[in-house]
Amino acid sequence: MSMYVIVSIAILVTMTLALARALKGPSVYDRVLAVNMFGTKTVLLLAVVAFFYGRPDFLDLALAYALINFVGILAVLEFFQSQRNDDEEQAKEQEE
Amino acid sequence: MIIIFAVFLLTLLVITAIAIVRAENLFVAVMLMAIFSLLMAANFFILDAADVALTEAAIGAGVTTVIFLGALSLTAENEKKVELSRGVAMSIVTATTLLLIYATFEKPKLGDPEAPVHQHVAPWYLSETPKLIDIPNVVTAVLGSFRAYDTLGEVFVVFTACIGVLFLLSAKNPADKQSRRTPPESIGLRHHLIPKVVGRLLFPFIVLFGLYVQFHGEYGPGGGFQAGAIIATGIILFALLEGEKTALAAVPHSVMMAMVAGGALLYTMVGVVTMFMGGNFLDYSVLSSNPVFGQQMGIILIEAGVGITVCGALLAIFHAFAARENY
Repeated sequence: MSMYVIVSIAILVTMTLALARALKGPSVYDRVLAVNMFGTKTVLLLAVVAFFYGRPDFLDLALAYALINFVGILAVLEFFQSQRNDDEEQAKEQEE
Repeated sequence: MIIIFAVFLLTLLVITAIAIVRAENLFVAVMLMAIFSLLMAANFFILDAADVALTEAAIGAGVTTVIFLGALSLTAENEKKVELSRGVAMSIVTATTLLLIYATFEKPKLGDPEAPVHQHVAPWYLSETPKLIDIPNVVTAVLGSFRAYDTLGEVFVVFTACIGVLFLLSAKNPADKQSRRTPPESIGLRHHLIPKVVGRLLFPFIVLFGLYVQFHGEYGPGGGFQAGAIIATGIILFALLEGEKTALAAVPHSVMMAMVAGGALLYTMVGVVTMFMGGNFLDYSVLSSNPVFGQQMGIILIEAGVGITVCGALLAIFHAFAARENY
């Protein structure tokens, strides 16, 4: 049992550090990375707590996060791609 | 021990919430919202509310970030500076906070079995579910059968919200017509190798997992709401990878609209059929000669209705935001 507690505390400390990075920034990419990190840590925390409770069927939740987390980060990528395309177009228009 | 974890996570939640309010760059706010949702789900999970945590996971982890970013691409990057006298608002907020803190003194302790909320109908649900419905997950029994009216209401809330969002987003401002350029076609991320390979690998598993959550809701955490959101996330992943056009060819607008309306219709029809078969509205016992089997059949049918509506609504809202880009 104590093993799970120690692991949870370690994960919570990592989550706090990731949150600190997300709050401080300074660049956008630091924050994106911090969010991704935070998501991974949440998956781990859920898995550990599921075993701590003795209900491994709750691992479904950790699985849901592990699968879906990726989509948010892809949306960020797509967002920056479309923004860059926009900027290039505007630059072209200004040249003309 | 667990209670210390929960308090710690709640503290992080408050810090994140304050940071979101204070953030002036909207992209930063969106990123912090993602962390907020993760913290919220972890909290729900630690307090043993696995079904709610799964809902937060399904909606918060993927769909909300995508929709927020879609909204962000339609607006400016930074919050508008507004000079307001905040005295009145601050005093109201402070007074409400103090009142709420005062109210918690009377509140029963967390998990106290003597608390009024655990004395009312909850013992009845717990003792009668094995007899009447015979499924292990009492949450699904409560949502699907005992309180099926409430769930029907929620499905129609989702339906109405979807129609409202589509109505708002389809309204065009005639003054803008001059400046509107033809939107460049969204090409997706198919030119990037890593997202393409990983995304294509993940897509079938996300949809499979969604179906598992849909049909396993009677035995573990999950059900229609969560499954609908997870499958919608899978299809949104496809849209992000392959671009709008391919995604719309796979799931056209007409199919989405049919899903939004059809799910709600399926739910209501189950109720009407039970009435024709001599029971009350949404009383599934009459669906089969064996009342317990009838209950299970009814729950599976209405969960399917919920899942279809939620999936269609999320997809329709996502495409409404994505299609408006650059207008």
